[in-house]
Amino acid sequence: MRMKKKGVALAFNWIFAILAGGFILFLAIYGAGKFIKTSERAIYTETAASLVGLTDPLETGFASGKAHEISFKKKSRLFFDCDESFRVLGRQRISFSEQTFGDKYGEQGEWITIKDKYIFVERELEAKKIYLFSKPFFMPYKISDLIMMVPASQNYCFHETPETIKESLEGLNLKNIIFKNQTNECEGIDVCFSNKVGCEIEVSESRGTVFKKEKGKKVHYVGDLLYGAIFSSPEIYECNVKRIKKRIDELTKIYLEKIDIIERQDCQSNVREKLQSVMGNLDSSSELINLHSLMKDVNSINRLSDCRLYDDRGFE
Amino acid sequence: MLQKAQLRIQEMAFMIVAVVLFFVLVGLFILSIAYTGLSEEATRIAEDRTLSSIIVLADSPELNCIRKTNCVDGDKFINLIGKNAYLNFWPYSSLRLIKFSGFGKEKDEMLKCTKENYPDCDLIEVFDKGVSNERTVGSFVAFCRKDNKNDAVYDKCEIAKLIAGTKLKK
Repeated sequence: MRMKKKGVALAFNWIFAILAGGFILFLAIYGAGKFIKTSERAIYTETAASLVGLTDPLETGFASGKAHEISFKKKSRLFFDCDESFRVLGRQRISFSEQTFGDKYGEQGEWITIKDKYIFVERELEAKKIYLFSKPFFMPYKISDLIMMVPASQNYCFHETPETIKESLEGLNLKNIIFKNQTNECEGIDVCFSNKVGCEIEVSESRGTVFKKEKGKKVHYVGDLLYGAIFSSPEIYECNVKRIKKRIDELTKIYLEKIDIIERQDCQSNVREKLQSVMGNLDSSSELINLHSLMKDVNSINRLSDCRLYDDRGFE
Repeated sequence: MLQKAQLRIQEMAFMIVAVVLFFVLVGLFILSIAYTGLSEEATRIAEDRTLSSIIVLADSPELNCIRKTNCVDGDKFINLIGKNAYLNFWPYSSLRLIKFSGFGKEKDEMLKCTKENYPDCDLIEVFDKGVSNERTVGSFVAFCRKDNKNDAVYDKCEIAKLIAGTKLKK
């Protein structure tokens, strides 16, 4: 009888210890897993925030363009989105994740907001190294710098490229942009400036359009927005064009108020009336051509003014 | 025997509570270290951003001069006051410019610029979000504006200090 009782007590102790121990172990492992995931997300968020800072040296100032590259320790993924209706001037967001074990990627980090830059890129970019280059955008005064971001592993084969575009890109020494001629080989995305059949990206300089066959979408461009149209997804391009138009409007307000200020010093500018007419939202990039011709008129008046309101060195 | 078993269960229950508490405390300790580091890192990134962007800020379209680099066009800059669109546009908690006339003066001695008293003033304050824990970064720039002398309009330039602030996370 005694023996039986002892046996039951021991079994209960063991069961209790196993259950409680198992629960504690489960909690510890679950907690550790959560902690690792949170730390990983924190690191990815920090990386995305640092990446934004790395685009600051790409501000061109007086330069015609700048380029640099960013290398990651592991293969990484960058995610982008764009919202033109966020507050007054819109925003872009960037998020980061990198390869962990095998082909698996870690959980995407938090979104980091960018409000003062226009990054032309695909919605999702996977690379160990990326090339960035920037071009100033004038309309007719400087509006901003356009930043283009491409994976280094993705070649772009440019066919029958106009000399000005070729010179402009060659100066940046981007290894993945290859200008195709009869002698060199190129495997990658074909960018054609002629009516060549089978090209992924078709550029029509006369119409100011870029057609992306894979996505079946055509976007319009003026000036150096051409590079944005080639290297970014049509959605991000259209969104950034609308954000740029909002920046144009805010800058226009500043220039209109500048006219009032400089008139106090007997410095007369005749562009006020024409400049007022450029304000208003843009529905799509197809309206860029009209805006450009309106800005051309503004620029002609500014050039003839005794007192020039702005510098138009990059406007054609 | 029953009492002894109950005692053992009680002991074990206390032990389990102690072990769980221990894990919780260790977890909290690790989390506090990790998140202290995180907020420091966030401050560092924000400061780096302020520093790297203030160097090129003078060349941004809202501030730049005609054919001059690292130069603020005062006739444009003054119009940024009260523009809500720019309140959250740059990554700063405050943005101001001290003209040469304000050098060596305390902040309360400086005459704040408005569109009415410009250019006869010392301090152009574009915005100040009024954060209590702020670190500022300054950069010397050329400050140019249109002036008139003997009926001739010319660009009058002087030195100025462009100052941007970053909110510290801690």
